[in-house]
Amino acid sequence: MNNYQIGLTILSCVSVITVTGVYALTGLCGMFSLGQAAFMCIGAYGTFMLTRYAGIPLIPAALLGVLAGVIVAWVVGRLTLKLRRDYFALMTVALGQAIPSLVVVFSEYTNGALGFTKIPKVNGLIWITLGITVLVVFCIRNLKYSRYGRMCLALKTDELAAKSFGINVYKLKVKIYILASAIACIAGILFALRNRYIDNTQFNWALSAEMQIFLFFGGSNSLTGAVVSAFVLKMLPNILRNVQLFGVSMQEYRIILYCILVLIILNFRPAGIMGEHELNFRWVSRLTAKIKNASGRNGGKA
Amino acid sequence: MTGKLFIQLLVNGISIGAVYALIAVGFALVFSVLKFSNFSFGGTISACAFIGFFFQKAFNQPPYWITVLVSSVAGVLIALTVDLLGFNRIRKKNSPKIYYFLSSVVFAIMIEQILTVFYGTQMYAFPSIFATTTLQIGGITFSKLDMTILAIAISLLVILIIIIDKTKLGLAIRAVAINSNTSRLMGINSSVIIVLTFAIAGFLGGITGVMLGQKYSVYASLGPSMMLKGFIASVIGGLGSLGGAIVAAILLGVVEIFATFVFGAEIVPIVLFGIMLIFLLVRPQGIAGRIAEEKA
Repeated sequence: MNNYQIGLTILSCVSVITVTGVYALTGLCGMFSLGQAAFMCIGAYGTFMLTRYAGIPLIPAALLGVLAGVIVAWVVGRLTLKLRRDYFALMTVALGQAIPSLVVVFSEYTNGALGFTKIPKVNGLIWITLGITVLVVFCIRNLKYSRYGRMCLALKTDELAAKSFGINVYKLKVKIYILASAIACIAGILFALRNRYIDNTQFNWALSAEMQIFLFFGGSNSLTGAVVSAFVLKMLPNILRNVQLFGVSMQEYRIILYCILVLIILNFRPAGIMGEHELNFRWVSRLTAKIKNASGRNGGKA
Repeated sequence: MTGKLFIQLLVNGISIGAVYALIAVGFALVFSVLKFSNFSFGGTISACAFIGFFFQKAFNQPPYWITVLVSSVAGVLIALTVDLLGFNRIRKKNSPKIYYFLSSVVFAIMIEQILTVFYGTQMYAFPSIFATTTLQIGGITFSKLDMTILAIAISLLVILIIIIDKTKLGLAIRAVAINSNTSRLMGINSSVIIVLTFAIAGFLGGITGVMLGQKYSVYASLGPSMMLKGFIASVIGGLGSLGGAIVAAILLGVVEIFATFVFGAEIVPIVLFGIMLIFLLVRPQGIAGRIAEEKA
């Protein structure tokens, strides 16, 4: 693979990681956040300010960066998740605007809109990214099938009913929000390591909205759908970047195309491409069982 | 800070607050009827700002009220199109609220991106509508534009409150806001009322688009960033309450102008976020004190 392909793969993996986090939040719990890009921003700036100014090595700095995101998520979650869901959604939009402007306010250290470039180089980033991607997806898959996941689904379907079954809805929501935000922080750090340049406009609300669009395109109830659509939709416009429409490259159109796609999905197949289906290997065992059965019957006849 | 400067900033703040009040009311209307946050409103504002700008350019300084009228009609048309393409089917199928959310976000992003692709991210300055831009009252200088905006916004808010509180249409909107199915049983055509509410919101979006475009010049992300202030105002005012939203929006405008004056424009989103956090901590029911009930 050449450098371009490696960069593209890392970018798609970052997209998969963020969408997996959003899946835990929106797909499992039904909370609609439009501020996950702000957590990418916190993770990236937090980590690389620490490596730059405090001289902390990358891995502890990354952990501290994620911790910063966790603290912000805890504060915001604690205040808004007791109220009805709309407050949470609006609050995350406001958060998504506040964090990037915080970067500009502290221009002295962050270099503001000019961008922050003092990011260390990491060798073999693609393997690290792939590893983290697999790990995150695996964790969220396990979450989905665990007791927590079932509690989340109950809460998404009917909060009141979930409460009456003894689920502490508020605590659960805060936990999931913190989890999703930590995942977004990790994605932000990887994103910064890949670009080796960050500025405040990269983490605008269009990025947060893009995550939601990917999620609903694949199917908000299906982790497989979310992962596949996050990977493919991020990859495709880059592959088609030489295609021109009205004299503008496809790359520029990509968000408009996503929007049209997801509108069609919303209108005609609201459950998303994958619906409720997950990729699993049960069909393999079913197939082998069938073959066995068939051969057994044939054997009996013969 | 001298007294004169204080009054000047205060009037400036009230004028921009009145525009935020229009946004907050447009948002609160749709919220009270359909119980979801209509993000597509921001896209409508941006699009109308551009339409007003190009109309003004194309017809070589037409009277101001014609520009406002054209862009408000455009706002109504955009809102109706968004409703038709984005919300109509979802409403018919009685889908979960989260699909409304996503649909409105998609429209907001789409309109912003279409404007960005075709017109770039640069700002377009609205041609000035007045020969002299300032006005002297009692030794204090006021911007004529701010005063015009204030006058238009206040009169629109008054008209709107009269419509909501005194007319049959307003009664129908309030009834649908409480419960659309029961209102249908009472002989109110709920779906028509919902579409009408969208149209009113679009109308407000069109007018705010032109006014904000004149004040801050026209650019693609104008609407979404201004919409956020309307949202915050309606959260502070109490979700779904019109009076609370108006009071909160004007307060917000004043706070914003003073914060900009003292600390610079970049701090404003952080200040607004802080105010919202504190409000949710201390008084989550908002200024109006009426918390919107979760619809079962």
